[in-house]
Amino acid sequence: MIDLFLYIGLPYIAIIVAAIGCYRRMRYSKYSMTARSSQFLEDKQLLWGSAPWHIGILVVLLGHGIAFFLPSVWSAILSVPMATFIIETIGVACALLALAGLGTLIYRRLTSARIQAVTTTADLLVVALLFGQVLLGVLSAMNFRYGSNWSTGTVVPYVWGILTLRPDMAYVTGFPMLFKLHLIGAWLFILLLPFTRLMHILAVPFQYLFRAPQIVIWNTTRRRRHAVAATAKADSRREFIKGAVGVTGATGLLAIGVSSKAINYIKGAGGDLEAESALLEKKLKRLELTAEERKYELERQRNTMILVSTYKELDPVKGKYFIDYAMAPGLAFMGKDCVPIVLSAKCTHLGCTVSSTLDANGKVMCPCHISYFDITTGQPNEGAPAKAPLPQIGWALVDGTGKVVVSRIPGQSPQGEIKPDLLAQCSLYITKPGKATA
Amino acid sequence: MNVKETLKKTEEYIAERLPVDKMNYASMVQKKEVPVHRLSWSYYMGGLALFFFMVQIVTGLMLLFYYQPTVSDAHASVEYITDHIPAGGLVRNIHAWASSLMIGSVLVHLLTAFAMKAFEKPRELTWVTGILLLGITFAFGFTGYLLPWHQIAVNATKIGLQTIEQIGAYLPGAMSDWPRQAKEIIQGEASVGQATLSRFFALHVIVLPLAIFAVLGFHLVSVQLHGMSKGIDEKPRSMEKFFPTFFLKDLRVWGFAFMVLYILGVCLPFESLFSYPLFEPFDPKGSTPDGIKPEWYFFWVYYPLELLPLWVILVGSTLLGFVLMATPWIFKNTNRKTLQLIAIVAGIYLIIMTVWGENIYHLFKG
Repeated sequence: MIDLFLYIGLPYIAIIVAAIGCYRRMRYSKYSMTARSSQFLEDKQLLWGSAPWHIGILVVLLGHGIAFFLPSVWSAILSVPMATFIIETIGVACALLALAGLGTLIYRRLTSARIQAVTTTADLLVVALLFGQVLLGVLSAMNFRYGSNWSTGTVVPYVWGILTLRPDMAYVTGFPMLFKLHLIGAWLFILLLPFTRLMHILAVPFQYLFRAPQIVIWNTTRRRRHAVAATAKADSRREFIKGAVGVTGATGLLAIGVSSKAINYIKGAGGDLEAESALLEKKLKRLELTAEERKYELERQRNTMILVSTYKELDPVKGKYFIDYAMAPGLAFMGKDCVPIVLSAKCTHLGCTVSSTLDANGKVMCPCHISYFDITTGQPNEGAPAKAPLPQIGWALVDGTGKVVVSRIPGQSPQGEIKPDLLAQCSLYITKPGKATA
Repeated sequence: MNVKETLKKTEEYIAERLPVDKMNYASMVQKKEVPVHRLSWSYYMGGLALFFFMVQIVTGLMLLFYYQPTVSDAHASVEYITDHIPAGGLVRNIHAWASSLMIGSVLVHLLTAFAMKAFEKPRELTWVTGILLLGITFAFGFTGYLLPWHQIAVNATKIGLQTIEQIGAYLPGAMSDWPRQAKEIIQGEASVGQATLSRFFALHVIVLPLAIFAVLGFHLVSVQLHGMSKGIDEKPRSMEKFFPTFFLKDLRVWGFAFMVLYILGVCLPFESLFSYPLFEPFDPKGSTPDGIKPEWYFFWVYYPLELLPLWVILVGSTLLGFVLMATPWIFKNTNRKTLQLIAIVAGIYLIIMTVWGENIYHLFKG
């Protein structure tokens, strides 16, 4: 029965009371939503109390908040053991920081006469409860380890159950007393929220982050002058620190990023045997190609005749590429009169290689700037970028015994007898310019 | 007497343009001031070009670790850098993007310096060295384009060099063969091959860097000696110190440029702007694939070259070169308004030819 009250009744009472109370206080007493600064009564101990307390508790609450609002993200993060370890460590460290700060604040509130004068009973109650609550939290975290993990599957559904009006206290009744107290404490805080200085949680001073620093002082002329100077100094220091942090951070990140890339780059791909062998294979293939080309070059320097293809392989439409004596591409076709057509395939415009297939008009096209060349004359079409004709190349048809049957020097008519049945045994050679065919 | 006077005048001329007495820390760094006005942004363009050049040195050296300049290995080594070396693709991509960005900022620097009449006495030599740097930068682009030894690289280089040979048609008698001989001297053999690759590699990594260091050194020193040019006719809004104010602002621009470059380098492969078959290894026996064209920064001369007779381009570019080199003397008495107008027209021409050059080409040639 008492459980039913503590885990279901109390939460609902707390939520309803807090909702109505907060609304009324926000609506009718907006300027009381404050923690009533006592900075100008005492500011030395305050710094060492307030700052650690707020930093610590905000981090801890952030952890609680993520677990509560994004449970799936939270458990995904925690599924990495190292992450759990780090989060638990941060949590406990921050809770201890908060406790230390709170201790300082309690000491200050109890010992300073000035502060005593402005302290209400509610303040003392809140601060004592807070101390107890954080202490319970730390003890729970230390006694029942990995709370961030186990609470995600128990406390989170319990609280969601309350909020979605499907309360289920089966999740919490089995908890150890230490943790039960922490839970009940949480509801108590929600209950107390509208009646105490805790209300300042709802007045988040975001604008403080962006405004210039202010110092609260008694307003006298002398002090004002000091304050102006101090503000200017603090301002310039703030700007400098901002700049320095920015530059250092950016430079650091840049250095890390760039050097990680650069060092790995210089280290190279070492160890990837497959890549190495693929590279080697590719290079070998290209070396072979290069070697082949060099052979062609040597052949053209030494020989007066170079084999293009057999006569039978020549085609009237699909030309055969070969490399001429200038190491430039050439094309060989079968002409209509059974006489081979042999001409350079290097476009006379800008030296691209023309295509090898005749179009419907009996022309080959250079794909670079669209010139059409008539293969019988080599002439480009009217208005083509190319002006000069493709040069004819001297050739010879040689039979199996090495005898030249027919030959042609560019600009002249073929020498020899053209007998198709005899030519079928022949092969087409190109002949070196300026050399008589043997 | 006359000789003496000429000598004296020459001496005075040089002394005014190279004020060596100002060659000290105080006047080059401490006292230098930069005017603040509506065109102040253009004071950053030269520095930006310098920054991209420094990126080119670093990434270029990194590529040099793995690149092999032989016709059989060049393409394979480039592919190996891109696919297998950690961050190799990134380094290569940054090198490609930074080259384009460098040339882009050099061009903007040229136009703004012209519009601001930054070549006024005593800055004539700064301008002339700037034009030399422009030429060297274009030469970097042209030689670097060949090194990957893929289809587009070799074929575009062939076309570029072939243009030289075509000049022969305009020359009389035996002289008509000279351009072809000149071309063969440049490419080292009858057609683009290993000799060309070796030569372009040497130019790209040794000759041009040495040349640019010398000219750039002079350019930078004279910029520091003479200070920033006033840039506008009115009185500037204010002056800011070169060091540290302007220097830090310059660094900020560089930081931003690096960010842009890095993001481009990571996200957008430079080669994705072309169709793939162009990046297959060059095959000396195959036919030339479609879509061979130079880099975008040559479009302004490439498309007119495709559309107009060669002699028009020859006369035009000779004239342009002459005008650029002689700008400080030709436009000595021109006011800034006119100069700005010319710069804007030139800028619009560059943009139109670079962006819509291909469309214009197809408009006339189908």
